[in-house]
Amino acid sequence: MIVCVAVVGHQNNPLYIQSFTEADDALKLHHIVHCSLDVVDERVNNPKKSGPMLNETFLGLLYPIENYKVYGYLTNTKVKFILVTTDIDVKDADVRNEISCCICRCSFKSIPCAG
Amino acid sequence: MVREVSESCVDSLMTEMVACYCNRFYANKPELAARRIEAIGYQVGQQLSERYTMERPRFGDHLEAIKFICKDFWSEVFKKQIDNLKTNHRGTFVLQDNKFPWLARMSVDPSTDNVSSVEDYSAPTAESKAAQAMSMHLYFPCGIIRGALSNLGIPCAVSADISSLPACSFVVRIKA
Repeated sequence: MIVCVAVVGHQNNPLYIQSFTEADDALKLHHIVHCSLDVVDERVNNPKKSGPMLNETFLGLLYPIENYKVYGYLTNTKVKFILVTTDIDVKDADVRNEISCCICRCSFKSIPCAG
Repeated sequence: MVREVSESCVDSLMTEMVACYCNRFYANKPELAARRIEAIGYQVGQQLSERYTMERPRFGDHLEAIKFICKDFWSEVFKKQIDNLKTNHRGTFVLQDNKFPWLARMSVDPSTDNVSSVEDYSAPTAESKAAQAMSMHLYFPCGIIRGALSNLGIPCAVSADISSLPACSFVVRIKA
């Protein structure tokens, strides 16, 4: 189950952040998203570690924390999509499709420009 | 469903926008009109680049981003590609379009040819007025290129140069 979705602009400014839990741990999820921004920067600036995935937009699993998994997607315009999920046996391809659907929906609605 | 707009509408909108800003809003201040038009182009370029780079893999370096502008971006906006790309490999690129669509239907006033040899010194001003009027129409595409490149993380300055209608070239200088 996806518990949190966040869209972060190119200056690491939050553009959209939404958590889908009934409990009061929205702040914890915001903190997890904030930490994942560093991981994204590290993946992008470290070409030796990324290897063949250097120019890939979908960054895959960023890091696991507690019982959550955090996935990342970086567009050409440095907009980051962060997805926090509690699913244990989720495949990369499924998450990639989810994020593509999110983006398609975003681009047909007007959200504040990242600039 | 994709919404579409006719090309002639876009052409008319561009012409009217330049005329409006130059003759009405900033009537005697061409520099301010130019800056305003360029700023509109900047915002449009940012949003267009966001839309057109959605499914592409990320760019490795500046040259790839400029090639994207020359090929995919230009064909999405103008239905044709940039005809010639030159670079000095030190951050300056020249994008040449041999038949720029927004200038293709423009004509130069032929009355500038009927000047006697005595008044030769006034001929340059008439020609330079035509050149200035023409260049006002190029601020918008310059803004589009600048907006697209800065949204891709490449701050730059873009200027246009018309030596022969309807060909024009855009000079992109990347800020180090």
